[in-house]
Amino acid sequence: MDVLLCSLLVFLLGTLTIVWPKRLELAAHYAGMLCAIVASGMTAFSGLRYLLVPNDALLIEAKWGSYSLVADGWSSVFLVITGIAGFFISIYALDYARGYLGSRIRALTGMWNLFLFSIVAVLISGDAFTFIVSWEIMALVSFLLVNHEAGKKETVSAAYQYMVMTHLGTAAILVAFYLLGSHSASFAFADMMHNQLDGVMRHIAFLCAFAGFALKSGLMPLHIWLPNAHPAAPSHVSALMSGVMLKVALYGFGRFAFQFIGMEVFWYGLLVTVVGLISAFLGVLYATMEVDMKRILAYSSVENMGIIFAVFGCGMVLMSMNLFPLAVVAFTAAMVHAFSHSLMKGLMFMSAGAVMHATGSKNIEKMGGLIKKMPYTAFFTLIGAMALSSLPFTSGLIGEWLVLQSFITLAQQAGSPELRLLVVFAFVLLGLTGATALGCFVRLYGTAFLGCPRSQIVDRAHEQPFFMLLGMGIAAALVVMVGILPDPVVNTMQGIVAGPMTAPMGNPLGIIWGGSGRYAIYSPAIILAVTVLVTVFVAVALLGSKKFERRDVTWNCGTYPTSRQQYSATGFSKPLRRAFGSILNPQRRTEYIRKEHDYFGRKLKVHLEIPDLFTEKLYKPVQTWMISSSSAFRHIQEGSVSLYIGYTMIAMICVLIWGVL
Amino acid sequence: MDYLVVFLVLVVFLQTRITDLRRAVICLASQSLIIACACFWLGLSHGGGLHAMLPGLLTLAVKVIFIPGAVWNLVGKLTNEREILSESNVNYSTMAAALFLVLGYAIVERLLPGSMGRDIIAASILMIMTGLSLMVLRKRAIIQIVGLITLENGIYLLGLLMTEGLPLVVELGVFLDVLIAVVVLVILTSRMRLSFMTTDTSVMKKLKG
Repeated sequence: MDVLLCSLLVFLLGTLTIVWPKRLELAAHYAGMLCAIVASGMTAFSGLRYLLVPNDALLIEAKWGSYSLVADGWSSVFLVITGIAGFFISIYALDYARGYLGSRIRALTGMWNLFLFSIVAVLISGDAFTFIVSWEIMALVSFLLVNHEAGKKETVSAAYQYMVMTHLGTAAILVAFYLLGSHSASFAFADMMHNQLDGVMRHIAFLCAFAGFALKSGLMPLHIWLPNAHPAAPSHVSALMSGVMLKVALYGFGRFAFQFIGMEVFWYGLLVTVVGLISAFLGVLYATMEVDMKRILAYSSVENMGIIFAVFGCGMVLMSMNLFPLAVVAFTAAMVHAFSHSLMKGLMFMSAGAVMHATGSKNIEKMGGLIKKMPYTAFFTLIGAMALSSLPFTSGLIGEWLVLQSFITLAQQAGSPELRLLVVFAFVLLGLTGATALGCFVRLYGTAFLGCPRSQIVDRAHEQPFFMLLGMGIAAALVVMVGILPDPVVNTMQGIVAGPMTAPMGNPLGIIWGGSGRYAIYSPAIILAVTVLVTVFVAVALLGSKKFERRDVTWNCGTYPTSRQQYSATGFSKPLRRAFGSILNPQRRTEYIRKEHDYFGRKLKVHLEIPDLFTEKLYKPVQTWMISSSSAFRHIQEGSVSLYIGYTMIAMICVLIWGVL
Repeated sequence: MDYLVVFLVLVVFLQTRITDLRRAVICLASQSLIIACACFWLGLSHGGGLHAMLPGLLTLAVKVIFIPGAVWNLVGKLTNEREILSESNVNYSTMAAALFLVLGYAIVERLLPGSMGRDIIAASILMIMTGLSLMVLRKRAIIQIVGLITLENGIYLLGLLMTEGLPLVVELGVFLDVLIAVVVLVILTSRMRLSFMTTDTSVMKKLKG
């Protein structure tokens, strides 16, 4: 408890860098980031200590008036996620954020500390007031951080879009809290667990909570702020937002689902699963279409949050069928994937920042061959990309494997044909998602790091400073470590999930890693051994032969292949664009820059746009309607004082006539 | 008292017809004078004394002498006294005043049946609503000030009748309120004359963003 409170104090101390004098800018930055590193480490430490040393007491319990702090196992998991991600991203930011020297770096560093502080405060708040206050601080601070490069027009519009959307979410969460709290003894979480809300109002409370938290975690109809806000923010901020802030939404939703609303109603889980699956598939589909590195990662966050929520919903469905041990697998999957996503998405945003730092661009179509210029960054990015496409030896596979495992159990337990149909649908979508994610990150990595340079900016690229590499290195090491030795993580998570549900824990489906169960067991050691064997075999087979000899081209008319002949990122995703054309609805426009003749001497420019499905079909009509109805109201409120007095007069006459009648 | 009410109604109707600014000010002064007379009359019927006479004296000083005087001075400075009102606005205000008189009597009949000052209540409702309609329908700032004072007079008369004498502090407060409002309005109007060369409030629409 003491360590956690101290970490909060250190975060606040770091926030004070805002008021340091301007000539100590750099010192302020280092001091603030050191505070963030130390405090994140303390947060992770206190969470880990609570998780690893089993005890019945709460991690923290404090109360000041109507504000209280309570942290249990469910909070500690997210504290560990926050602490670890905050730790390595802050180390990275030591060097990365130096790029903002002279452009309000003190504010950036101070806000960074406040952002981490508010996240921790959300996680340990023990009543609705504290939760909402911290949640709001988190929203506002992240808005300010997204808006840091306020000189750019698109940054400002992205930040304001984020602001509006996140406040809609907060409003929905407020409604849910109000409904639950007004039917409980008080707004403290401990009292809200025993709320008396039932009937339609309970459904409304659930829907509001789900909408609010789904918005914050970027699930599909409510995701539109996410692909705009992440590219606009400084890279370390995007890393923290994507790696941690989205998980905080999962934390809140989990608290609602486990403690306040319950999971007895079948369709709650069903709704969450379907929304999650759609987000997962469409998210990765849109990610594959983008050429902006950070937008790819942002859409990939939509995908991963979709997977997490899908499996969480699967757990809720299993709970509603009273299958506690099987539901535990699903919830464990959600948490493990949340943990590993925070590592790998943090890593990938950091490497996107490194690439931006080196080349000054986010467009992967302009890159290529970066592996020669920045080998360490390329290596870490490779690990991150492997994890995000859930390949073996990375933490990504652990989460996804558990996800699939829990859907398999759902398929086995499905009683009704409708549920079977859903599970088939889920399998298809998860399979498509996995395959598309693999394609997406092969495309990202291949286009940016392999091949020949596509433009001049690659020539300027250079390896990154030490602390940036250190931050990425820690993240990459953790990704690989969790990938190879998943037992401690999975067992801890399982223990936590089984705790608050007080369900009988046996050995469901043999999910004891390395043990003997009735079902397929993922064993990294065996895979590692097989891979080593295969590698050795291939190496031996290739050794001595001239397999890597360069053969000159025969049929290339004597020309040397240029960089323009390599696969472009847009070209790479063309088959998918064709296959899912009905969903993506790509808009292609051809423009002649020069046209001397129909068949030669012409220069084309092809614009390709992928409009976001929900923006076009859902948000634009609502926006149009709102603007038109507002302009109708504008006629009433025209700015003429005598008109306003006239309204008063008419109202008065109406009242008088009403009195007479 | 009945004569006073008749005169009052006459003056209010006249006010809706007047478009000349000087005449409007004279009309306003005479309207206030009638109110002052009513105050004196009520005060005498309550037995005289300083407290009974003070409202009448205050009305006389503020609403008959000071406010019309200030507006009169302002009108004197206005060089551009061209009438820009259309005839229809005048007719509308008169017609509205007639309707308000009917409404006033209907309200008295329904809500306060058999009350003593039936005519006075109706007249004060007429004044309140006519003052409002002057402010809404007319465009010139001076006429709007006149409308405001008419509204104020109506409220004051109604208050006087219903409460049979307010506490002194409240009355002083009300008068100070009106005084300051008119001072501000007069200053604003003269600023407006300087800036726009007219006191037509419709030109203020240019200021909208």
